[in-house]
Amino acid sequence: MSSNPAVKQYKALGDEVWKSKVDKINAELFTLTYGSMVVQLVKDFEDYTEVNKQLEKMGYNIGQRMIEDFLARSGIGRCSEFRDTAEAVSKVGFKMFLNITPNITNWSSDNKEFSLIFDENPLTDFVELPDEALEGGLWYSNVYCGVLRGALEMVQMQVEAHFVSDILRGDEVTEMRIKLIRYLEEEVPVGED
Amino acid sequence: NNPLFIKNFSTSHPDLKYHYIAHTSIDVIEERVSNGPKNLDLYLGLLYAMEDLAVYGYITNTRVKLVVVVSVTDGIIRDADMKALFRKIHTAYVSNVCNPFYNIDSQKSINSKSFARSIETIGINARTTLEI
Repeated sequence: MSSNPAVKQYKALGDEVWKSKVDKINAELFTLTYGSMVVQLVKDFEDYTEVNKQLEKMGYNIGQRMIEDFLARSGIGRCSEFRDTAEAVSKVGFKMFLNITPNITNWSSDNKEFSLIFDENPLTDFVELPDEALEGGLWYSNVYCGVLRGALEMVQMQVEAHFVSDILRGDEVTEMRIKLIRYLEEEVPVGED
Repeated sequence: NNPLFIKNFSTSHPDLKYHYIAHTSIDVIEERVSNGPKNLDLYLGLLYAMEDLAVYGYITNTRVKLVVVVSVTDGIIRDADMKALFRKIHTAYVSNVCNPFYNIDSQKSINSKSFARSIETIGINARTTLEI
């Protein structure tokens, strides 16, 4: 990770927005709400792949709306390249909404793919996956993938995001891989369902 | 009224004995609780003693009963230590309950690995600090 001035700038911006311009709610309320939602989805669909898809879809809807709030509050301008996008997402986006700053690593050689490593994840406090969920392949925080996809699509970037490891599943770290597919030219965002 | 979780730290007594103790303790607790509607204190203290074992009880506001059985040695067990121990167990239980995948109403016992681990740690610490 380079320590270029943009990084420091984003970090400072993120801290400032978090401190002053956002309302805060109780963390446990948030965690418990998300938890009961996941459990309800599991009960309704009974298929963990389907639950993952639903979480991603929900995230997509959230992301499309969240980006407006994000841009309005942070006042951030256009990112010149994908590396800047990554920094903005991590240090301003996640900071603003969750007060966490996931680490950016594993850039691919063409600078179109990177990983986000989450040291802490407010969604997963107290959560322990039952064995069926582990075997079924549930990605508990899959909503994050949808949020990123939805938000970035509204700023003309088509990305694909998925989790590669999760502490809840017994892995060492929680890691999400984000890949830039292409920049969208001036067209109506691709509507899904 | 099935037990949710039982952990045996001793080397001498078999598990079955503890099941029996658990059931008798529940009866004693019910007695104590029904006698006083003004149940302000969660810590119930020494419930009863039998042979070389002393049984301490604690009830949560949600009517979950925690029972700790210790073998009576020469050392005196202080109330404050017992209360601290129960508080730790209560905290571990609360963390377990916050897990959205845990079914509170079930008659089945607690299957959580991290709960088991935390009880294990509490038990081992208790051994060293209280010498039980």
